[in-house]
Amino acid sequence: MIVPMEHLLILATLLFALGLGCVLVRRNLIMILIGVEIMINSAGLVLVGASAFWQQVDGQIMVLILMAITAAEVAIGLALVVYLHQQKKSIDVGIFDEMRG
Amino acid sequence: MNLESLHSLLPQILLALGSTAILLGGAWVRNRRLWLIVGALVAVVAALVAAFVDPARIDILGMYSATAYARFCTVLWCLTVAATLLISCRYVDLFRFGGGEYASLMLFAAAGMSLLSSATSFVGLFLGLEVLTLALYVLIAFRQGDSRGAEAGMKYLVFGAVATAFLAFGIALIYAATGTFNLEAAAAGLQTEEGLRPLGLAGWALLLVAIGFKISLVPFHLWTPDVYQGAPAPVSGLLATAAKGAVLAAFLPLLVMTGEGVADIRNVLWLLAIATMLVGTFAALPQTNIKRMLAYSSVVHMGYLLIALIVAGDEGSRALLFYMVVYTLATFGAFGIVTTFADENGEIQEYDDLRGLATLHPRRSAMLSVFLLSLTGIPPLAGFFAKFGLFQAAFRGGYAELAVVGVIASIISVYYYLRPIIALYSPEPAVVCREVAAQSETLVLVGCAAIILFLGVYPAPLLTLVGLVIP
Repeated sequence: MIVPMEHLLILATLLFALGLGCVLVRRNLIMILIGVEIMINSAGLVLVGASAFWQQVDGQIMVLILMAITAAEVAIGLALVVYLHQQKKSIDVGIFDEMRG
Repeated sequence: MNLESLHSLLPQILLALGSTAILLGGAWVRNRRLWLIVGALVAVVAALVAAFVDPARIDILGMYSATAYARFCTVLWCLTVAATLLISCRYVDLFRFGGGEYASLMLFAAAGMSLLSSATSFVGLFLGLEVLTLALYVLIAFRQGDSRGAEAGMKYLVFGAVATAFLAFGIALIYAATGTFNLEAAAAGLQTEEGLRPLGLAGWALLLVAIGFKISLVPFHLWTPDVYQGAPAPVSGLLATAAKGAVLAAFLPLLVMTGEGVADIRNVLWLLAIATMLVGTFAALPQTNIKRMLAYSSVVHMGYLLIALIVAGDEGSRALLFYMVVYTLATFGAFGIVTTFADENGEIQEYDDLRGLATLHPRRSAMLSVFLLSLTGIPPLAGFFAKFGLFQAAFRGGYAELAVVGVIASIISVYYYLRPIIALYSPEPAVVCREVAAQSETLVLVGCAAIILFLGVYPAPLLTLVGLVIP
């Protein structure tokens, strides 16, 4: 490996934390989905790095599967966002507070 | 991929192809009931294939297995989905669901659950869990124009997507630490004291967070009551039973192994179990909505099941499977009764609306009481045997403190399970709900209640079956 494993793990952890921060702080549904994407891509980064570290292709195959599944998830997520926008004329998560207790 | 692997995956392939066929057929023939019946048939056929067709090989591409245990779980989830489709017959007409899409998504979820509980590698596990979750995202918000359904869908989407991200990162860290996706090898890799062990443990911690979200353990349970309340009642029933059971079932073979690496995980599970039982119980007490109460009840029951997962071994696994079957029957039945009470104004959820319904609907009220009393663990019903076996396993396994907390939670649970029953049998005249249950609904619910009564008197057949399939 050209890049040391530690650097890669640090970068991936930072990305994951940034994505999580985005999910927790943002109130816009689309921004939350983007945060989740960043978190999942940081996992992809670790997989690719670990794949090179262990000299196997398993990790790279998993990244491809991960990308396909994420694409499906985003497609459904955005469809739901459109539906929610039709329902409430807003995609701010703060206004979805009918149910409590 | 050769013919033998395909043959071993036959139930899952049947479910996926059946789902696609119904989706295509639904575009031409807009008949809701027809597609629900076809979907239920496909699920039953898949269950029969899983039960009676011997797999050509046990290990499928190192991703899935076709052991007796995996097949047992497949049968259980397929039958739950078939029952869900049958009790939805009147419900889909009432709220004008697209019948083809509804049945197709349910079958797709069944395929995901069955893949999930037969996974032997993280790749298979991730794939199964995502197939299940993606179908559920749509099913939860399926009632068009219902703002609560939309809210529930939004909440499940956000929590589910974050859980997926945690799962993916956890799997990536475990792979970085151990260099394998195989579940058993990854758990065994934790036991060596090398430099990468902390990385592996961090991965398992993230994995536990994701599982905690999926089976709603405290403190990751916050979405549960809102989603169950907003989702259509049959979907809530599926969410509370099979969707959670499949995740738990995936981790049972893993924790049966003992070892130092797994011991660390067990300590965390111990804390989660106690927190889940206590917080769930106290949150359920003030509820006045039956779907929210059942949501917190499912949180508490996941705490009980966690006890069995911690005890592990033969006895723990047997107690867990028995409990899971009995819990599934009772919780599914309770949500089923809520489904039958729905009319064009919506579902009956508040206790105030349940008042006096027993005079109008004596049979359904009696069945709801049976389901709730079984969840409480009152002796002549199956729930008693399930709890007894579980707490006994905890005592014998040296986890007496967990059993004590469980017993205390069970005793307190009498209060919140009796509240809807008291409302049903109160002498005031009922003001709502004159709907007559459809035949398919009655059939499924009477079946559930009959099995609960039968297993309460004579649990031996299920105990024997469970003893045969444990990994």
